[in-house]
Amino acid sequence: MTPADQVTPAQALMEAAQPIHAPPTSFWRKYVFSIDHKVIAKQFLWAGLLFLLVGGALAMLIRWQWAFPYRPVPVVGGLLFPSSGGAIAPASYQQIFTTHGLVMIFFAVTPVLIGCFGNLLIPLMIGARDMAFPKLNMFSFWAFLLSQLLVLASFLTELGSAGAGWTTYTPLSTNVGMPGLGQTLVVAAIFVTGVSSTMGAVNYVTTVIRLRAPGMTWMRLPLTIWGLWLTAILNALFVPVLGSAALLLLLDRELGTQFFLPAAAAVRGGGDPILWQHLFWIFGHPEVYIMILPAWGILGDVISFFSRKPHHWYRGTVWAMIVVTVLSAMVYGHHMFLTGMSPLLGEGFMLFTLLISAPSMLIVLNWVLTAWRGSLHLDTPMLFALGTAFVFGVGGLTGLFLGDISMDLYLHDTLFVVGHFHFTMAAASFMGSMTGVYFWFPKMFGRRLDERLGKAHFWFTLLGLTIVFGGQLLAGYAGQQRRLFDPFQYEFIRGLRGLNRWTSYFAFALFAGQFLFVVNFFRTVFSRRARPADPNPWRVTTLEWTSTSSPPPFHNFDRIPEVVRGPHEFSNPDVLRLTGRDFAGQAELLPGGGRPAVAGGKG
Amino acid sequence: MARPVAHGDDLGGHRPAPVYGLARYRRRARGADRTARIGMAVFLGSWAMLFVGLFFAYGFVRARATAWPPLDAPPLPRLLPGLNTLVIAASSLVVARAVSAQELGRRRSAGASLALAALLGAIFLGLQGLVWTALWRGGLVPSGGPYPSVFYMFTAFHALHVLVGLVALTWLALRARGSSAPSPTDVRLWGWYWHFVGAVWAALYVTIYLV
Repeated sequence: MTPADQVTPAQALMEAAQPIHAPPTSFWRKYVFSIDHKVIAKQFLWAGLLFLLVGGALAMLIRWQWAFPYRPVPVVGGLLFPSSGGAIAPASYQQIFTTHGLVMIFFAVTPVLIGCFGNLLIPLMIGARDMAFPKLNMFSFWAFLLSQLLVLASFLTELGSAGAGWTTYTPLSTNVGMPGLGQTLVVAAIFVTGVSSTMGAVNYVTTVIRLRAPGMTWMRLPLTIWGLWLTAILNALFVPVLGSAALLLLLDRELGTQFFLPAAAAVRGGGDPILWQHLFWIFGHPEVYIMILPAWGILGDVISFFSRKPHHWYRGTVWAMIVVTVLSAMVYGHHMFLTGMSPLLGEGFMLFTLLISAPSMLIVLNWVLTAWRGSLHLDTPMLFALGTAFVFGVGGLTGLFLGDISMDLYLHDTLFVVGHFHFTMAAASFMGSMTGVYFWFPKMFGRRLDERLGKAHFWFTLLGLTIVFGGQLLAGYAGQQRRLFDPFQYEFIRGLRGLNRWTSYFAFALFAGQFLFVVNFFRTVFSRRARPADPNPWRVTTLEWTSTSSPPPFHNFDRIPEVVRGPHEFSNPDVLRLTGRDFAGQAELLPGGGRPAVAGGKG
Repeated sequence: MARPVAHGDDLGGHRPAPVYGLARYRRRARGADRTARIGMAVFLGSWAMLFVGLFFAYGFVRARATAWPPLDAPPLPRLLPGLNTLVIAASSLVVARAVSAQELGRRRSAGASLALAALLGAIFLGLQGLVWTALWRGGLVPSGGPYPSVFYMFTAFHALHVLVGLVALTWLALRARGSSAPSPTDVRLWGWYWHFVGAVWAALYVTIYLV
């Protein structure tokens, strides 16, 4: 045991490696071209939340179309679609569902979940003063902003934005299907945002390897960091594959190469549209885990924090997350069962797909067992965490149907698929993000969000998401194809008009409910009367709460902490006896020299 | 991990046997250098996946093609690109020399090696230009089907990487002569990048030109 005012040799080494710099004073250096990971995290948060609103609004237009095709959109219709009298025309509709998907995935959820929380939490939770490469971090954000601007610019082009679906399947996305600058700009935006993700991933991976505080062993890392680190590895490995696909498509569009065009096959051999699907899904399936792993990590910590219990079988959860990360690279073919791939290959992909549900469900089981008989504190972050677990469970179970080839033949390209991936990628990722926003808001802004508005927001979100995407599951199971401009021109879908309409009503309510969050967020950030937050308002254990203030100073920690225990030290009777609290910070030295069981527990 | 033995005295008068790899251990990067190396390794691993994607595309298109190369396509030269392989291999060796010279503090030698490596890189690009013009005149244009698409995409994208490395090596060589000498880590990491570009070329030469 060292007295609190002495520095151990390990701490001295880390201090020497990460000296304290003076905070920047000019406006530009402080808020705009900042290299402070906390500021960059906020930049990603603002950019992501703004585009979340854009993506949500686009979703409302899709729902309007499915409820009332050919009818003018109320309020905004005349402004957005003047040429068609306020109703959504087929070409506009295509652009709406395409950009809805792209915006939500690449420009809304990714920046919030990975850009914001990765930047904010990795240094703070591992006890570092900043990222390993702060300048690279800044470039990552500015590259991301450039890609967002490219997407916005695409709407201003002559033929409008991209319209080939978020998957950008060829040959629809080549010049044959989508002439015009809009599609090109969006493909370029995908490439640029990929470069941004790669830069971020290099930073995250290196930072966690190199800058963990003394005593922060791998098995003492908070689960959030595990989630973000594994995500960064997947990003580093597979986003460049999307980059290669985008590059080839850009060449096809601009320089006349023929990678994806089957034309003239008889003469010289042709390109192959299926090539795009391979490259896209080699990236695309890891991508869905890229979007859920950080949320899993956040849930693992938050459920333990608000149950006042150690996470159930921490090591099991960590290894399950690692196994999912590895398996996620081996299942991409299940998106392509209907492309005429060899049945043997298809069965292999099916096997791995069904196998991946085993570690996933182990993780869910560990959440449940963590909360089981815990002392549940149902604050907003906990509500969102439990909600995330629920919607993820539904999404995971519906995935089993789709992973099975014989079911997939029937359900392929129906709204069942849409419902499934919205439960996992949209509902679970979004609610996971919100768990993080509500939980770390005091650390980011030094103020407390309003709990009552937060809880109302939670109920709107949970019920809204479940009903809307549940409605899609039902419609898809009944055979409604996705992406149809007017589904009801088909006789067999006509009977689903009522279902579609009701789903839309709930979608509108869901969207309206989000303004509870907008109001709460802006009021707290900008109002002078907002409650200031304590350093540790949730009374939890990890370094960002126990070893620094809210918000933390520019250099994060006055002294780099020496970690002595795992991240979930709750309700330990010895700690209670020594400190009168039911938790012990990861770097906290207990008075009177705690027994080894208290000081050295791993997880 | 080998630990250096500090004092002979501790061993009761016995002379310590020379520890295998001690010099190597002492040269192990620490602190910020090590962080930079890990970051570069992660980046190169990540960037390699982009080329993996491109090679996948190449293999896929080729496997689907009825005839490869198509019957009316001019044959790709082998000699000139082969020479280029030697050029880029030589420049990789020179860069390796520059790295060790920089570590030993021989700045003039390092600067000269870097300049030579950059020169070899420029020769590489020049020869590649000759190959392109000859083929273009022979009627191989990017829009002529997947075969020329693959050829031009691969070689051009690789040449772009060579160009980036060329600029970096020149910049390092100029700095090595001036007062603000680059750190050994700068030289080493750009050296890694240069080796990476060379390795990609080797894979590319074998798959595009030979097989």
